[in-house]
Amino acid sequence: MIGYDYLASRLATSLAVTFGVSVVTYGLIFLTPGDPAEIILSQQLDRQPSAAEIEAFRAEHGLNDPVPVQYLNWLTDVFRGDLGTSYYSDMPVSTLIIEVVPFTLELALAAMLVALVISIPAGVVSAVNRGSPIDHASQLGALLGVSMPNFWLAYLLILLFPLTLGVLPVAGAGSVGHLVLPAITLGSGMAAVVTRLVRSSMLEVLDEAYVDTARAKGLRERIVVYKHALRNALVPVVTILGLQLGTLLNGAVVVEIIFQRPGLGSLLVDAVFERNYPVVQAVTLVTAIVFVATNLLVDLTYRYLDPRVQLGGETA
Amino acid sequence: MTAQPPNSALLSVENLHTRFRTSEGPVHAVEGVSVTVDEGEIVGLVGESGSGKSVTARSIVGLQDPGEIVRGSIHLDGVAVTDATDRQLRRLRGDTVSMVFQDPTETLNPVFDIGEQIAESLKVHDQLDSQSLLEYLHVPPFSSRSEWREYRERAIELMAQVGIANPEDRVDAYPHELSGGLRQRAGMAIALASDPDLLIADEPTTALDVTTQAQLLERLRRRNAQRGTAILLITHDLGVVADICDRVVVMYAGEVMETGPTDRILEAPRHPYTKALLECLPQRVDRGSRLPTIEGSVPEPTGDRTGCSFAPRCDRATDACRDGEIPTVDLGDARGTVTCGESSALESHAARSGTATSDGAPESGSATTGSAPGGGPDRSTAPLVELEGVSRRYSLANGPIERLLGTDDTLRAVDDVDLEIRAGETLALVGESGCGKSTLASLLTGLETPTTGTVRIDGTPVGTAADRDAETLADVGVVFQDPRSSLNPRLTVERAIGEPLRSNGWDRSRRRERVQELLERVGLADRHATSYPHELSGGQVQRVAIARAIALDPSVVVLDEPVSALDASVQSRLLNVLADLQADLDLAYLFISHDLTVVEHIADRVAVMYLGELMEVGPADRVFDCPTHPYTRALLEAIPSLDPGGSTGTSLEGDRPSPVDPPGGCVFRNRCPMAEPKCAETDPDQRQFGPVRAKCHIVRE
Repeated sequence: MIGYDYLASRLATSLAVTFGVSVVTYGLIFLTPGDPAEIILSQQLDRQPSAAEIEAFRAEHGLNDPVPVQYLNWLTDVFRGDLGTSYYSDMPVSTLIIEVVPFTLELALAAMLVALVISIPAGVVSAVNRGSPIDHASQLGALLGVSMPNFWLAYLLILLFPLTLGVLPVAGAGSVGHLVLPAITLGSGMAAVVTRLVRSSMLEVLDEAYVDTARAKGLRERIVVYKHALRNALVPVVTILGLQLGTLLNGAVVVEIIFQRPGLGSLLVDAVFERNYPVVQAVTLVTAIVFVATNLLVDLTYRYLDPRVQLGGETA
Repeated sequence: MTAQPPNSALLSVENLHTRFRTSEGPVHAVEGVSVTVDEGEIVGLVGESGSGKSVTARSIVGLQDPGEIVRGSIHLDGVAVTDATDRQLRRLRGDTVSMVFQDPTETLNPVFDIGEQIAESLKVHDQLDSQSLLEYLHVPPFSSRSEWREYRERAIELMAQVGIANPEDRVDAYPHELSGGLRQRAGMAIALASDPDLLIADEPTTALDVTTQAQLLERLRRRNAQRGTAILLITHDLGVVADICDRVVVMYAGEVMETGPTDRILEAPRHPYTKALLECLPQRVDRGSRLPTIEGSVPEPTGDRTGCSFAPRCDRATDACRDGEIPTVDLGDARGTVTCGESSALESHAARSGTATSDGAPESGSATTGSAPGGGPDRSTAPLVELEGVSRRYSLANGPIERLLGTDDTLRAVDDVDLEIRAGETLALVGESGCGKSTLASLLTGLETPTTGTVRIDGTPVGTAADRDAETLADVGVVFQDPRSSLNPRLTVERAIGEPLRSNGWDRSRRRERVQELLERVGLADRHATSYPHELSGGQVQRVAIARAIALDPSVVVLDEPVSALDASVQSRLLNVLADLQADLDLAYLFISHDLTVVEHIADRVAVMYLGELMEVGPADRVFDCPTHPYTRALLEAIPSLDPGGSTGTSLEGDRPSPVDPPGGCVFRNRCPMAEPKCAETDPDQRQFGPVRAKCHIVRE
């Protein structure tokens, strides 16, 4: 059963983590060199802004207050549901984020799908045929996948598919075709990590006595492996999936820029370069919330995968 | 019996060799074993660990992996298992042969409920050749819900047949929600779902309490009588064999030493190994006297062997035994066979003499023979350890909110226990698993704090280990059940034993001296000081644990199932070591065990626990010869007796109630054969019956 105390304490920790993330990003922003007023005004006015203009901008956006005060103001706004206004376009930050979230979401889900479709069968086949050429091949593939940087794989894929074979668009977003290469780029690293995990987890489970019980019943080996063993082997895998989401969102930054997709990643990068503090801060917050919420969800799915798990802390 | 042609028996194993490849060369686990089982027969396969009995069993159902069968044949119902295709093997497993495995906590899949696992087995048997993965994964269009529901209904019937009470409620339970006994019954239901001709049971009751064991053996016997199911029972427990087997096969180091009808093997064993094994049993030795032992240990099953594998440990071995070919001789008159080169084994005298040796110390050196009769050590001295009204409760709520919502259950692990231990005495604490024995021990060692009541050592009340001063801590030694997990695998023996010394400020040279002295006391050689636990045998590791427990000269040692994980021959040696230590050092033992035959041998006094309460406390002779409490009586009845044919049973039905929700009145009343209405109304007080104190309304002096 899901304990109320467990839920309460998990929610409290999640909130604390999110709060911590916002403090750290706020601090980091102010440590980066460059005055936003100067950078933004010089771009908007297309000339060096005067001291008076800079002062006016700073006053308007509250940049003259001490940093802690600025942070508190921002925080109270957030609790009111107001993520602030972009320094650039005077658009509410929430609108900017809502516009691009679907793109990042579809990318992340597609990448996750690619990763799972590759990694689970590969890991299982590898474990079942331990030490065989298939196992070695999949291990090698996994090593390659882990080692290959995102951006490098992205350029190789662009070179091969759109430029040489003439299939799939080079960049942009909007259709399923646009999603294929970014999803493969982003999913392959994760697939590699998960393949190795599924393999080692399966190897462990295949040694368990209950697997022999299933065999002794007269079940086909395929059912023994994919029903009795895999379900048990997936428990540790799910944990890693949650944590891998962080890597995935991280990778989305690079992938979105290379494939020129709108999304949280490209929004964030642009905002950082433009010293568009409200946008940086809001994107980080949203990402942190997504990450924390996913991991909470992961912990709750344990109960479904493994009925022995007591959500509610240490069992006696 | 082995002379029968291979095809007439239900199972015939001929000259089986199963090997394992390891990085240190091949391990010859089974070396030329031949066994037959006829229809409707119950055959026991007996031997100590490492004898190859489990590998033999697994080879029969084709589960020897990662080992391989290198020679020999196995025929099941006329089909050659060794040459069978996957499909034939599946048909055999789903139809002809089933297996019950040892440890029910590991052999049931933790993520599927019991009903699903039994239903699967029923479905396999019904539809041997059409097994689609999607159907078994319950993917809707490929799998029929109503069909699975039918199988679940049949699973419930089957659960009732193997003695699971309220099967409708338990069909949805996951393995971890059931007790060990219920899990093993579920394992039996899975095995019996295919209505097999042969049931192979690999140590099916070893992990269970005696009472549960007796119930399960009864089920097996009934199945055999009603459906004619043949059973191959693998066990190390000769009591279990005597209880239910028609015939016995004794294995040692991968080979068959002796076969024969159960009566003949138990009454007139021919092979020196069989004789020695029987002599080691505490049941066969007078209470308090030394146990005979078998010197040496089972040889590593590697490389080529010549001669008899038991020769190095056999005191009748001749040169011919060590080098020559050992004949297997048929004793005639259906009395079985014996594989021994020593001609005297073939003579028909049944004397049980000589092979097992007393390990040197004089009889009078044993602990209990020297003590006062009828009650152990002098009762007039002040007790060394006193527990007064001690209780330990655990709250099951997980935090303040649940407590507020009222889901606050309490588990009464130990309930109002009064107990005392005197210097030099052995107090045995017995009871079924989960009765609170180990919690009680933790209260004494200070690993737990009593919720109410006081623990006194030498008259002084003591708290938890953290509150005790060095002297009080040194006064109590502990030996845990599984020596391998209680010793740090990365510490050498010397450092492990020296650890308590070091934390008491002993310098290096004094430590070394003391460790040497301790090693000698527990019967280990100096060279073992530099070994790591994994380099030692189970018996040796437990000796190290004992040495560590007595390092600081305690006056009382808590022994939590110290010999339960060991083979009979090793167990008897260790019990002798414990007796010597007690005699030499005047130690008091709190000896926790579920094995009543061991307790009967070693204990001065016995305390019987049930659901956290003491049911009976008294001198061992009195408790064993003339038990007062109905629960004690039930426990004693459940011990398998070595007298062939004298089948045992137990008057205890059903399972132990949950300690979270114990019955009102007397906690034992719902399983008590003598219960009367007043037992449900009031909780009985502890009453004195001669030397015995018991907690029962019904019993009269």
